[in-house]
Amino acid sequence: MDLLVQNFLVAQSTGQGHLLSATLLPESPQDDPNRLRRLTSSSTVHDIESDLRSSLLSTRSGIHLNKAEGNAWIDVYVSYFRAATEVVALSERHGNSDHTSVYDAWKEMANTLIRGYSSGHFQAWTIPCLYVAGRYLRIFAIKADRHARSGKPVTYGSGMSGDITSSISKNEKLEDAARVINRIFQLCISDRASIENSRKWGLYYATNLLFKTYFKLNSISLSKNILRALSVSVDTPPESAFPRSQISTFHYYNGIIAFLDEDYPTAETHLTQSLNLCHKLATHNKELILTYLIPCHLLTTHTLPSATLLAPFPRLQKLFQPLAECIKRGDLSGFDSALAQGEEEFVKRRIYLTLERGRDIALRNLFRKVFLLGGFIDGGGGEDTEQAAKPRRTRIPIHEFETAIALSMDSHNHRLNKNGNNNNSKLSNGTTTKLSRAKIDRDEVECLLANMIYKFQNLMKGYIAQTAGMVVLSKGAAFPGTGV
Amino acid sequence: MQAAYTTVSTRRGFDRSHQPVQIPLQPFQESKMIQPIEPVEPPKRVIREWPPAVRAYVQRSFSENHTVKGVARQDLEAKLKAIISEAAENDTLLTVDWDNMPLPQQMLLEERARSYQSSQLLTNQQFSDAHAAQHPDGLKSKKRKSTEADGLEDGNPPWRTNQIPLGDRITYTDKRIKFDRSNELRKKRFGEILPSTPTTLDEEMTLGPVVGTCEILEKKYLRLTAPPKAATVRPLHVLRRTLELLKEKWKTDKNYNYICDQFKSMRQDLTVQHIRNDFTVNVYEIHARIALETGDMGEYNQCQTQLYALYALKLGGHPIEFKAYRILYFIYTGSKTDMNDLIADLTIAEKNEPPIKHALETRSALALGNYNRFFKLYLVAPGMGAYLLDMSIQRERLSALANIARAYKPQVRLRFITEELGFESDQEAARFICDHQAGDFLTSKDDQVLLECGGKSAALFEKLRKDPPKLSTP
Repeated sequence: MDLLVQNFLVAQSTGQGHLLSATLLPESPQDDPNRLRRLTSSSTVHDIESDLRSSLLSTRSGIHLNKAEGNAWIDVYVSYFRAATEVVALSERHGNSDHTSVYDAWKEMANTLIRGYSSGHFQAWTIPCLYVAGRYLRIFAIKADRHARSGKPVTYGSGMSGDITSSISKNEKLEDAARVINRIFQLCISDRASIENSRKWGLYYATNLLFKTYFKLNSISLSKNILRALSVSVDTPPESAFPRSQISTFHYYNGIIAFLDEDYPTAETHLTQSLNLCHKLATHNKELILTYLIPCHLLTTHTLPSATLLAPFPRLQKLFQPLAECIKRGDLSGFDSALAQGEEEFVKRRIYLTLERGRDIALRNLFRKVFLLGGFIDGGGGEDTEQAAKPRRTRIPIHEFETAIALSMDSHNHRLNKNGNNNNSKLSNGTTTKLSRAKIDRDEVECLLANMIYKFQNLMKGYIAQTAGMVVLSKGAAFPGTGV
Repeated sequence: MQAAYTTVSTRRGFDRSHQPVQIPLQPFQESKMIQPIEPVEPPKRVIREWPPAVRAYVQRSFSENHTVKGVARQDLEAKLKAIISEAAENDTLLTVDWDNMPLPQQMLLEERARSYQSSQLLTNQQFSDAHAAQHPDGLKSKKRKSTEADGLEDGNPPWRTNQIPLGDRITYTDKRIKFDRSNELRKKRFGEILPSTPTTLDEEMTLGPVVGTCEILEKKYLRLTAPPKAATVRPLHVLRRTLELLKEKWKTDKNYNYICDQFKSMRQDLTVQHIRNDFTVNVYEIHARIALETGDMGEYNQCQTQLYALYALKLGGHPIEFKAYRILYFIYTGSKTDMNDLIADLTIAEKNEPPIKHALETRSALALGNYNRFFKLYLVAPGMGAYLLDMSIQRERLSALANIARAYKPQVRLRFITEELGFESDQEAARFICDHQAGDFLTSKDDQVLLECGGKSAALFEKLRKDPPKLSTP
């Protein structure tokens, strides 16, 4: 209690927002594990108000808060004290107590704080207090929901709706928390004070916290509303004026939102920015960013992560290396099984449906091999101008591609395929993955070729001449960006 | 030249596909049962009378925050008395953890719920076998067959079937005032036997289920604006007969508007009575199938959402079949987020069930632009999957045509189009092309019909792909 009072006074007289916010932490600092407990036992919920009043607002305190401001702080600390009492009670009863009451008490505290701002009592430098309120609100809500979920029966729909199952969410408290955090966001964005003394400086912190909450709730569309609000808000200082960590996080979420919208170029821009701003020692954050940036790159630039890039991140290595190798080799069956192998993890991280399309790149690489193996036309190309190289054979029978696919899909023959591409190979498999199980027929091969030509103009250039059974590839750049 | 990435994304042309079907967050409701905030002080002095914890407990019991509708005050008092005197008799007044003791009203509700559940159990068992073997195997049926059998009989036109006495349908005037009073009465009448869910915050939910008394089979759907009256709600045994009647009527009349309306009112009656068993699943499944057959995707989606939740309760039905449909539905809406969630929910065993496997392969084929495989799978869709795929088929055909028109030169045989794009005949393929104002690109040579590719043809199909015209669905 004394410590709280002391810090409060120092913070108020020096204007240190973070010191002030530290007085509102609902947990003890690591170097002082009993602080919260000492605080709660130093007074009672009945006496706390008068205790605080005498110490914080007395003339001896050396700070001059006007009456309304002082009262508002008292309200905040009274509600904080109640919440702290709940937290201590919960921790001492060893799980016998109720996470919901902790959440509710903390929410009360957050609301009291918000009220203080919205009625104009608190100055902008104190906004780290809002950060603390929002951050722990989210944490307590998640805990409360987790506890409520275990042992709560499925609820019935309300009598009014026509359908049987209820829409009552499993994340009741977190949804509730999202609303409160949204109020914090509104407090920041709607502040019209001049920028030196504006709550706009809390904008990115609040935004990131909201994103985090919405993502957890799986309602990403709500995040877009926030982005919209941000984009029309005026007088927001430039991003460079904010702490880098906040901006990095902000771009990370922006990138993910675009990623889930399949807008990979935008996603890539944001994720790249995020990565560049990320602290060099924040390995975990970098790992998160790369988890999405790598699949982005695969689709936008058809490039694979290098071993050097992946080296510091063993988890990413495990995640992407097998796929990357198969793509590089043009190994379809290997790709399919690597994808199946990682499916669970990929789905969990929402990158499965993106990575799946890496198969096109694998296929492109395979077709490219066919083209290379086709060799050169002897004596055909008259004008060997700059390069000494003869022109490559650009008219390739479709059955060569068919054979290549058949070989690539059959994992056992895979290693032999170097010279096998002129035989009509037979498929002898019944392997595990989806596409390899069914036999590929000629029409499907044509379809895959058509895809290469159509889907990404950058993958393969040329056309299919159906009657001739040939693929006619472009002379200049049959496989753009790959050197041939 | 366009950058590679713009063409990466799958199917664009279908506007709706980019609307995620996510259920928006419910407007968060203010919690009405905030736990008491004042934690009880450690008792400093021992009082001769009741210990403070007990007094706090009593206070909480009567506090307005904890008032539960459906629990009368005298019941509460009686229960409270019983709890405390029991503690006093056992001399545990000081040892009981009063702070964590459930409030008397909560105990009452739980007791009621328990007694209700046991009675529910009986009713469920009674009926559970009756409808077990409803759809022997939807999987083998050909693509166009509705699982609801078709026959032909005479049935009443829908406007004559509504036989609810008028008097019963005008009960909703001055509802608010009446509601409160009748609610009081109802509580008195049913207070002792009705369950309520004690943990919920939604006010209506504490009203507990209605027990219907209506004996009339058919009922028009009316959106509820007030709690339903028992007299207008059909109990389970009546609903069972209603279902049989409706199935019969669907076979004979095929009047979807009527059927849909009736099913909605059935769903409503089930809901207000909290009937959730195999019969409920059956009603939703049948409605879903009928909606599929008629192409009413909105209603189908409502049903499947409910079904998905019902399957999680393991009440029977055909979860595999409908989960497969759900995948195909998300192919139609193109919602990647939903699809991802769904894949994440499937177990390995489920992924190997033929209908789900089929749906997943279809999804994968489409994701990779493999139209050849997609249309092969379309033709062998199990159950009613083809109805769902029909929803995407125009879009996918145009997309494939855009692809073919660009990749091939100088032309392809129409026969090839027919086969690749799952048309039933060359005529059908030609009609599809002509319907899209692309007939000019059809030429014939040596008895063969050809489709010109490249250049203008590719441009036209690309335009069609991006913006598919609305064609009347056959």
